Amino acid sequence: MATLRLHSLTATSEKIPTSPFVPSSRVLSASFHCNEKRVSKRMTINAMGGGAKYKGTQMREKQLSEMIEKKVTEAKQVCEGDETSDECRVAWDEVEEVSQAKANLRLRLEVEKKDPLESFCLENPETEECKVYDD
Amino acid sequence: MAVCSAYTTQSLNSTCSISTPAKTHLGFHQKQVVFYRRSSKRGGSGSSSGPCVITCSAGDSQTVVIGLAADSGCGKSTFMRRLTSVFGGAAEPPKGGNPDSNTLISDMTTVICLDDYHSLDRTGRKEKGVTALDPRANDFDLMYEQVKAIKSGVAVDKPIYNHVTGLLDPPELIKPPKILVIEGLHPMFDERVRDLLDFSIYLDISNEVKFAWKIQRDMAERGHSLESIKASIEARKPDFDAYIDPQKKYADAVIEVLPTQLIPDDNEGKVLRVRLIMKEGVKHFSPVYLFDEGSTISWIPCGRKLTCSYPGIKFHYGPDTYFGNEVSILEMDGQFDRLDELIYVESHLSNISTKFYGEVTQQMLKHADFPGSNNGTGLFQTIVGLKIRDLYEQITSSKTAAPLEATKA
Repeated sequence: MATLRLHSLTATSEKIPTSPFVPSSRVLSASFHCNEKRVSKRMTINAMGGGAKYKGTQMREKQLSEMIEKKVTEAKQVCEGDETSDECRVAWDEVEEVSQAKANLRLRLEVEKKDPLESFCLENPETEECKVYDD
Repeated sequence: MAVCSAYTTQSLNSTCSISTPAKTHLGFHQKQVVFYRRSSKRGGSGSSSGPCVITCSAGDSQTVVIGLAADSGCGKSTFMRRLTSVFGGAAEPPKGGNPDSNTLISDMTTVICLDDYHSLDRTGRKEKGVTALDPRANDFDLMYEQVKAIKSGVAVDKPIYNHVTGLLDPPELIKPPKILVIEGLHPMFDERVRDLLDFSIYLDISNEVKFAWKIQRDMAERGHSLESIKASIEARKPDFDAYIDPQKKYADAVIEVLPTQLIPDDNEGKVLRVRLIMKEGVKHFSPVYLFDEGSTISWIPCGRKLTCSYPGIKFHYGPDTYFGNEVSILEMDGQFDRLDELIYVESHLSNISTKFYGEVTQQMLKHADFPGSNNGTGLFQTIVGLKIRDLYEQITSSKTAAPLEATKA
């Protein structure tokens, strides 16, 4: 059973069709359009038992999401002057890199249904990263 | 004749243990004894105290090396998961090592991500103004040395490129597996590395499909919009066309993914037309064919015996030339809706190197959750996986046959 929890002012949820990056139509994904600048952006997707189990994975997801946003803004700024400049190309390449990293992480959680930190945390359960995410 | 070499490696864990890999690591064809020393002081960074590894490898055992060129990062690759599944077992990151490692290890195969050979980290690339696609951002000398070493049975300390931090992390030990897969942007770029590959594959996604997939991938991300996704693809295109795309002509097999021709003006990228372009004359590799090898066939399986739902399935097979090479092309347009469609199609394909009737279908069903499981991408990836297994078995049996003949004579 899939459950979706949202903590935000407004949220729209849409079914994303089959693609290499969102494999199953049973997985719901939500996009947020927040009007306030600082709103807690916690998004929990519990579909089929997939989802970040450890705090470290949670942190990585959040970090990557924030990086995507930041780097898209940067790229737009850098490219305003010259779209064909090296700086512009590098900026968008960085956007691609972090977008891909985020997608990979999401895919691993949803398709393999296993937290990537699983084996690391078995051996290092006391670290900050290995605290189990509690909802 | 056995060759032994000793060297030290860095380790993230400072535990004391003596392991006998012969029992635990079934996929490694070398004898190896590892001694770990407990570090006496904590935080002794940069000190040379670390595990000492003595590796002995038999001179005639060799790792089979497969190259996969794909512009989709590492670690996701459903292709890799299908491939390792054909050999049995699940591929997992190295246990107890760097959690951000890109490497996947299963019983028979080890998959390494070529991003690990970046000579410049994210900051370095920004300073020099080069993208990750640019050869100047990658250390091909190191790539060649290490792949060569692994191929000849010697373990290496491979760097780790951390995609989250954008930094180069301390190296991890890679022991020679039975099958090594190198996956990334430039597996066939350097001629020396190319010559080490026993088989190479290029995943060629057309621009329209790439755009549709990236929309599906990124639209849920705050920060992205149609414009930003488009801009990112456009900005990377010059480097992609200059450095990555030209590798196509060296590949033994190309999987080309295009928009469907069954639905007019379809731009959603859901129904796909997939072409498996197979080079002729490759050692240990016999191309898949439909009905009559070397002829040209157009086949719609849906009809009286098989009912398909819209938009159906269409196959094409025939000889062709590709960048000056003789090839055979098997093409599938459409999607599978039911199990019986899949088994019906499988029963009409030849040279698919299955060990039993229905093996392709079984593999596809095993990973029904994987992307592409209902179309040509999943089908051809699975078939290529079986061809690689066949290639591996041919190579290893020809190696064991040679010494026997030598002793007879």
